[in-house]
Amino acid sequence: MSTECQTFTEKYDLLGCIQCGRCTGGCPVTVRADLNVRRFVNDAYYEDKLEELAKLAEIWDCTACHTCAVRCPKGLKPLEVLLGLRAMIIESGKVEPTVRDALQSVLLEGNPWEKSRASRSDWMEGLDVKIAEPGVAVENLFFVCCTIAYDPRVQAIAKNLVRILNKAGIDYAFLDNNESCCGSEVFTLGEEGLFEMLVEDNTEFLNEFTAKRIVTLSPHCFTTYNVHYPDLNKPVIHYTQLLDDLLKEGRLVWKGDLQKKIVFHDPCYLGKQGGVYDEPRDLLKNIPGTELLEFERRRERSLCCEGGGGKMWVESESKKERLAETRIKDAKALGADIVAVACPFCVLTLEDAMKGLGYEEEMRVAEIMELLGEFVEV
Amino acid sequence: MKTYVCIKYVPDTSEAEVKVNPDGITVDSSRFSFDINDADNYAVEESVLIKEAQGGEVTVISIGPKQSDVMIRMAMAKGCDQAVRIEDDRIAGHDPLMVAKVLAGTVRDKEFDLVLTGCMATDDWHMSTGVALAEELGVNHASMVNKVEILDGGRVRVNRELEGGLLEAVELELPAVLTIQTGINEPRYAPIRGIREAQKKELKVVKLEDIGIDPAEVGVEASQIVLEELSIPEVVSAAEFIEGEPDEKAEKLASILIKGGLL
Repeated sequence: MSTECQTFTEKYDLLGCIQCGRCTGGCPVTVRADLNVRRFVNDAYYEDKLEELAKLAEIWDCTACHTCAVRCPKGLKPLEVLLGLRAMIIESGKVEPTVRDALQSVLLEGNPWEKSRASRSDWMEGLDVKIAEPGVAVENLFFVCCTIAYDPRVQAIAKNLVRILNKAGIDYAFLDNNESCCGSEVFTLGEEGLFEMLVEDNTEFLNEFTAKRIVTLSPHCFTTYNVHYPDLNKPVIHYTQLLDDLLKEGRLVWKGDLQKKIVFHDPCYLGKQGGVYDEPRDLLKNIPGTELLEFERRRERSLCCEGGGGKMWVESESKKERLAETRIKDAKALGADIVAVACPFCVLTLEDAMKGLGYEEEMRVAEIMELLGEFVEV
Repeated sequence: MKTYVCIKYVPDTSEAEVKVNPDGITVDSSRFSFDINDADNYAVEESVLIKEAQGGEVTVISIGPKQSDVMIRMAMAKGCDQAVRIEDDRIAGHDPLMVAKVLAGTVRDKEFDLVLTGCMATDDWHMSTGVALAEELGVNHASMVNKVEILDGGRVRVNRELEGGLLEAVELELPAVLTIQTGINEPRYAPIRGIREAQKKELKVVKLEDIGIDPAEVGVEASQIVLEELSIPEVVSAAEFIEGEPDEKAEKLASILIKGGLL
């Protein structure tokens, strides 16, 4: 046990923490849950407390937004202590059925949505999509993401992208049904063994393709590949970065006139974790007839929508206002007509919140790709 | 306590479109995902809970292809100790009596206290393999079990789920076969490290001869069930939209229900 605790202390550099409290001070979840990440970092040092700590419900409240990591003056990632505690529960097998089913689905079918691998690329039906083949070089190899591949609400992200790429004559290819989950949510749910397996298998799979870069549609895949896949043999970018380049090269031809006020919600995995802030804004500003507004909490201070950290499969015990609702109310107060995002999870959480608040008639939540699908010539 | 738990590898037909193959008696399974049969998953958990409380060992039995090994390893990761997988095309798998004969042949000469099965399989929905297995083994059985309590003196007390919310409590002498209803427990997750660890446990793959079963006794010729045809139920349009103000709608709806003998 002492060896294990030593490992835990070393693994998360617990002794590096100076207990300044900036992590908890900035944690967006504290307004609705009893989560004090600083305290966990402190208490996790005591080996006899680990099992007790792992049983606390609030370890599942963390959304892995990384605000604590961004604010930590010592460059630590306090949230990962919570993920380490989650891992102890995962190893015991006694997890919420929703978490169990999502993780098992990743192992068996390569996605957390309990869908069959054979239907992963059904979204391509009726579209002229170029499919990647090992040994056939392309500039841009696209990685779709499980949620975008299977959830009809966000499939438009991939469909519109294909139409725009075809029109702009971009050299690209998409992966077929063999594409597997990047493991972003597997990592944050604490299934360390499964995540290690995905890193190994996906690295081998993706390295077989010859491409200048991998372009992800979801910021979760984008950050996961960049942070946790050291042996990938090509750089990974987010689609907003590629499209912003196309915009600058004059390869996007606009049409129509939106005449709306848009506010951009920085997804945590794109901004705080991926450092991509300007490209999505550039794209939105250029949509004809757009007035781009800004949240007060924006860029690295952006408010999390609570869609990450495995929260798609874990419901908080708190009945207090969801952060997504706070965000939608903030957007309404700004006078925004559209809340634009660049992440499938943000679409789902923010749209739910908007509907729950009854703002459906007057507001819209849209992924940037949905707007581009409407205002770029294809 | 020596327990056997019988599990089946079944397709998930809830999402994919089901298509009957040209032979008319099989379905195209190329777009299905496969996993442990739902009720069998609860049977596995119950067998592990019994082992954790009483000690002893659990053996998994499954008839199925190599692809089902992952399901068996998951059961072993959860706490089952060993497994036997019967892979033999000669078994008339569409007939629960033939399947029960094969399962019984695997258990018969062994010492056992309990055999657990799921109460039904989500592919053929026969709900009879477990009961037929008890008959083959000549032991007691209880079906649709949603609570198990091991008693002293080689007995077990179980609750059986009846219709209309009724429960029947029965005591059985061991050995016995119990067919487990879903919801009896909350099946645990099999972490990948546990699955890897379970690679060290024994998974025997056998043919009918290896377990002393004459293929002629469990094959298509021996079966009294002939699978003639599979077909997709005809889709008929039966929706009626009731128009009008709320009180008119309510009146029309009430009259439809009364006419149909539903009120």
